[in-house]
Amino acid sequence: MADNKQPPPGPFDVRTVRELVELMDKFDLSEVDLNDGGQRIRLRRGGRLVAATPALLTTPALATAVPSTNSQPAPPPSAPARKLLEIKSELVGTFYAKPAPDKEDYVKVGSRVSPDTVVCKVEAMKIFNDITAKCAGTIAEVCVQNGQFVEFDQVLFRVEPS
Amino acid sequence: MFQRVLIANRGEIALRVIRACRDLGVGVVAVYSTADRGAPWLALADEAVCIGSGPASESYLKVPRSIAAAEKTNVDALHPGYGFLSENADFAEMCRECNIEFIGPPHDAMRKLGNKNEAKKIARQAKVPLVPGSEGLISTEDEALKVARQIGYPVLIKAAAGGGGRGMRVARNDHSLVAGFQSARQEAEAAFKDGSVFLEKYLEQPRHIEVQLLGDQHGNVIHLFERDCSLQRRHQKLVEESPAPNLPSRTRDDMCKAAVRLARAAGYYSAGTCEFLVDRQNNFYFIEVNSRIQVEHPVTELVTGIDLVREQIKIAAGEKLKFRQGDVVQRGSAIECRINAEDPANNFQPSAGTITRWQAPGGPGVRLDTHAVAGYRVPPNYDSLVAKLLVHQPTRSEAIAVMRRALGEFFIEGIKTTVPIHQKIFSTSAFVDGQVDTTFIERVFFGQSTAEPGK
Repeated sequence: MADNKQPPPGPFDVRTVRELVELMDKFDLSEVDLNDGGQRIRLRRGGRLVAATPALLTTPALATAVPSTNSQPAPPPSAPARKLLEIKSELVGTFYAKPAPDKEDYVKVGSRVSPDTVVCKVEAMKIFNDITAKCAGTIAEVCVQNGQFVEFDQVLFRVEPS
Repeated sequence: MFQRVLIANRGEIALRVIRACRDLGVGVVAVYSTADRGAPWLALADEAVCIGSGPASESYLKVPRSIAAAEKTNVDALHPGYGFLSENADFAEMCRECNIEFIGPPHDAMRKLGNKNEAKKIARQAKVPLVPGSEGLISTEDEALKVARQIGYPVLIKAAAGGGGRGMRVARNDHSLVAGFQSARQEAEAAFKDGSVFLEKYLEQPRHIEVQLLGDQHGNVIHLFERDCSLQRRHQKLVEESPAPNLPSRTRDDMCKAAVRLARAAGYYSAGTCEFLVDRQNNFYFIEVNSRIQVEHPVTELVTGIDLVREQIKIAAGEKLKFRQGDVVQRGSAIECRINAEDPANNFQPSAGTITRWQAPGGPGVRLDTHAVAGYRVPPNYDSLVAKLLVHQPTRSEAIAVMRRALGEFFIEGIKTTVPIHQKIFSTSAFVDGQVDTTFIERVFFGQSTAEPGK
């Protein structure tokens, strides 16, 4: 699991979470609940759909990162224009931009995201699945509308990498 | 009738179902994996939804994806095709619970027939003959001798935990039974840590003949005669035909009636197939029921003139069969060749890649069911079937002549295909004479003896 060249990942390391999610998918597990002292990590999947519990996974450094107000930062002059990253749908279902009808959107153009930031929900078979960014940067484009039907691999957001 | 049907499959059969839906004036939604993105049949659907990545386990086999796609696209029924989720009773039940009609048999019947012991039980009830054998496990030599004499030599000694020919022995007399019994037990013990064995009658060079069934939701069950699928390589069918050559009409009649009894006993409706092994004395024995539309269904469509996929959809929508048993006639002779992206010169290795030339045969008596076109890339992720070449003629010898002509007109480049082995088959006198059995390909083309297990 641990790469030789890197320090062993702690239980709340993003790599660990990603590996857990992959293992859950591989072995078709619906729930993983780990306790380590006062810390706890709990991953659940509805049907076969992956849903991480993001609040527990967010590291303080990332959570307190100052959101960038500049939605279109100029690329570094020496490097060629950086390609935007894509956040794609992992499922087939209905796209929801906000956690509840009366709440704000999870993210907007200009929002800073880290790999574990929840950016939207996709509902399939009455199960709401959190979709995380899986990359770090600033939302440059929201490609689908609230309530829209999305298919697997459809681009939901474009992200300016940080 | 349904408004819109989702097809939870790909390739040739997805296209076949799209066509049936078009004929019925029903809307079609296709699903696809990222490996099939841009595939030619998808453009023929009203809508196409990507449901996952290339590996089938991540897309075509993923139950929630197909159901979510069906719910979101407002279809009222789902056609599973063959393979993938087509014989998954839980999937069928889940579709129906979501108010999406599964175009197939009742899930209870699928479940029963999908279980070998349960299926045998139903066959016994319906007085459908099974391969004779020991009722249970055999633990002593004396018991083995008694059972073997009762069912008659040759017998097959099979490990209960076995598979893949391991722990299997053929015995032709008391002497070889005693020797085979001991070594089969030892081999099974070593391989599976379980030395239990049972005995079954060994069928020498059996034929594989199956009966096509059609039943509606109002209790009508009929058969559409048989298909001979004996030409196989490693249990993969290569050629199928109807009628089965050199089959006494009495045997045909008995088999078809037996299949109908079994379907009735299982409470079956929709299309289905009852498979039998037939020995050299034309005794037939039930193997299993395939509770789906089969690859080779067009063979039956040609000889009976009945569109099986269209009937499946109408039956699922609750319609009654429009014809009775007496209306179904087996007319002429139909043969199908499976054209696979495989290299027959290289141990039938799969041959994925881009088709650079595709010149398809045609003319009188030829039907070609295919999703392939020039420029199509055969993905490595799925089965290798690229086309089903069918002919229909008044007689078998005319059908063979037309098949030879059609194979000679078929030019495929960029991938290797099974066309050359079909050309060999259709110029082999034993095949032309209808002397076929399940060992034919290995015996005639690969110079193997009848490949008895354990030898």
